[in-house]
Order: sequence, then C-alpha cells, then structure tokens
Amino acid sequence: MYDLSSVLDFEELRDVRPGSSILLSGPAMSGKQRLAYDILTDGARDGEGAVVVSTNDSARNIAQVFQDEVPELSDSQLGVVDCRGEGGVDADALDGTFVHQVSSPGDLTGIGIGITKAIEGLHNAGRTRGRLALVSLSTMLTYTDKKTVFKFCHVLSSRLDTADYIGVFTIDSGAHDSQTLQVIKQAFDGLIEVREAEAGGREARVLGLANEPTAWKQL
Amino acid sequence: MSDVDPPVVLIVEDEPDVAETYKLWLQDEYEVRMAKNGDEGLEMLDASVDVVLLDRMMPGLSGDEVLERIGERALGCRVAMVTAVEPDFDILEMGFDAYLSKPIRSQQLHDTVSNLLERSEYDSMLQEYYALVEKQATLEATKSSAELAESDEYDALTEDIAEMRDGLSETLGGIEDDSDFIATLRGLSADEE
Repeated sequence: MYDLSSVLDFEELRDVRPGSSILLSGPAMSGKQRLAYDILTDGARDGEGAVVVSTNDSARNIAQVFQDEVPELSDSQLGVVDCRGEGGVDADALDGTFVHQVSSPGDLTGIGIGITKAIEGLHNAGRTRGRLALVSLSTMLTYTDKKTVFKFCHVLSSRLDTADYIGVFTIDSGAHDSQTLQVIKQAFDGLIEVREAEAGGREARVLGLANEPTAWKQL
Repeated sequence: MSDVDPPVVLIVEDEPDVAETYKLWLQDEYEVRMAKNGDEGLEMLDASVDVVLLDRMMPGLSGDEVLERIGERALGCRVAMVTAVEPDFDILEMGFDAYLSKPIRSQQLHDTVSNLLERSEYDSMLQEYYALVEKQATLEATKSSAELAESDEYDALTEDIAEMRDGLSETLGGIEDDSDFIATLRGLSADEE
C-alpha cells in the first residue's frame, strides 16, 4: 500500500492500493504540479522510485526540486520523460537522473518507451515500488484528442498496475469542457480535486477511492 | 473475427521452403496467404489481413522498408518481424509488434500469432469501452443527477462500462509486458491519423 496522507491529510489516502491511478484536478495556478511532485518526493524519501512525465518543466528543474526536497536522493532513483520536444540535455548536470527525450506531448509511443525505460532502470536498481507523475494531461489534450488521451491513460494505468506503481496525473479543470473532464475521469481509480478556498488558501477533497466524496479540507 | 472466417495471416518470405513450413503449421487455424517478396507483400496487403509475418532480410524491398509502408497505410494489421539473428537493436523503438528469430519453432509461431490477434481484440474492446464512456459523459453533462437516478439507460450504461472494464483487464491480462504496452500505444497513434 502507498500512504499519501502525509502529503494530503485524508484518511482515504492512507492505504492506496498499488496499481492505482489518480487524477489531480484543479484550476490553473492551484499548485497541482507541486502537489504531484510532493507525492513523489515523499515516496522517494522512503527509497521509492520516481518517474516524472513532463510536458512543461525541464528535466533539470525537476531534478533540482527532487534534490532539494530529498537530500538523500540517490542515483537511479529518478526518471524524467521530457516531452517538451526541445531536445538537448546536459547529462553531466543531471547525475544519477535518467532522462528520456520525446519529440512532443502528442508522441504517445515515445512517451510509453520513455516510461518503460525509466521503470526498467529503477527496477534494475532494486526499486520495486515507485510513483509516477504526469504533468499535465491538459497540455497533451492540446496535441491530441480526448479519445486518444483517454485510451492512453487507461493503457498506462494498466502498465502501472503491472509494475505495482501508483500514478498521479494532473489536469487543469478550467481548460476543458465538462464532457471532456467527465470522460478523462473515467480512466482513473480516484480523483483529488483542488480549489481556491473562499476564506483564502486552497482546499482539496478526494473522490472515488471511498464510496462517498470526502468533505473539502483546507490544505 | 466471426466463427466462419478464420483470421488471415500473410507470410512475406523469399525462401519458398521456409514459407511453406510456416503455412503448414498455421493453415489449420488460419487463412494463410503467401508473398515471395516485399513488393508482392504490399500488393496483397489489404484490410482483411490480421497478421503479417515479415522476413527482415529479403532481396528487393527489405522488411524494414515494407514495415514503413505498412505503417503509412494504417491498416490496423499486426506485424511480426522475422530476423536471422537475435536483434541487437532496441526492439521497442522499431515499428513492429513482435519479432521472431530464425529458426522458428511451430509452437513459438502459434503463440506469437495468437498474442497479436489478442492484442487487436484488446484495441477494439478499448475502442468500444471509450464509446460507452463518452456516451455516459454526455448523459452526465446534459441531465441532472435526479434525472440520471431515474434513467434506465444510464443504469444499463454504467453496468456495461463496469463489465467492459473487467473484460479489458482480462484480455492480455491487462497490459502484461513492455512490448504489449508499446504496441498498444502505437496502435492508438495509428487510429488517430
């Protein structure tokens, strides 16, 4: 089981079954990316593997976040699948981080190959548990249609299930129509919603991992 | 795949003895067609072909070239590449769905063909699953939760979706290994074009 409750204090996130894929949904600038990274770094502190599929952030930035958050981060603990299509990575600056470049966020086969290699690398280094974050589905949806993204999420969830990983996928709830959001949600085992709280700050709730949605809780 | 028509396997192989052997092994279960080179293979390829068994080293068009043209035509068939030696390249990055190194044994050939057919079945189930999910999302977006609670159509749809989800995880055991995973993703990109 994976315990996500130290990042998000919900009882429903205390025992997340290996193989679960969770959608992290919220408006722009609500800290979804950071929350997804926090979920991964929290696992990395316990020696778990981490794989980040990124459409916006550079491998260097991601490696920096992980090194800052997890000082004891060792080699072959972090894999980054960089889908920005900008190429060129200074491998020396990223010692210990596995980086795979993909030509665009719409290159699903390339993303799949990167994920496979990253998981394989972590596995070979003895890391049998791990967490994957994909940031973000919204960018992928600008490159390819919702049908393809839905299928991609379903197939990737099956792959994570086989690997006993958990996955966290972010989506900008304000960037898509409600039907698209509804379709994408169906590819996941659970949903974490984030929003601005009326009293200021942010709040979150969890759906799908328990029978009823949880109440909103301040972050 | 109906009960009447067996799946179609197209063998593209320049050595007649080898092609005949494959045919002998497969003909009880499949409709087998044979092409003796890449050009003929491309000519014989149409939407009825389910699996292509493609020799990599042939005079004229090579297996790699044939594979590229098959990819361009986006026919939805699955390709098993037959190589003379254990491939030293990264097979995930190549465009084929499976590979076999010569010499091939009968059981191995059967296993490969049936795995590829199962993968095609997974693709069409995934397509069907999506259609149901989309329909459900449309209902949810247009009806109130009170209306949904009363709707038999919505109930039936929800049940079908649950059933289909289970079916998908049983087919191919979900996604069992890396080559299944990559080949399925490759299929998604092909659908889109």
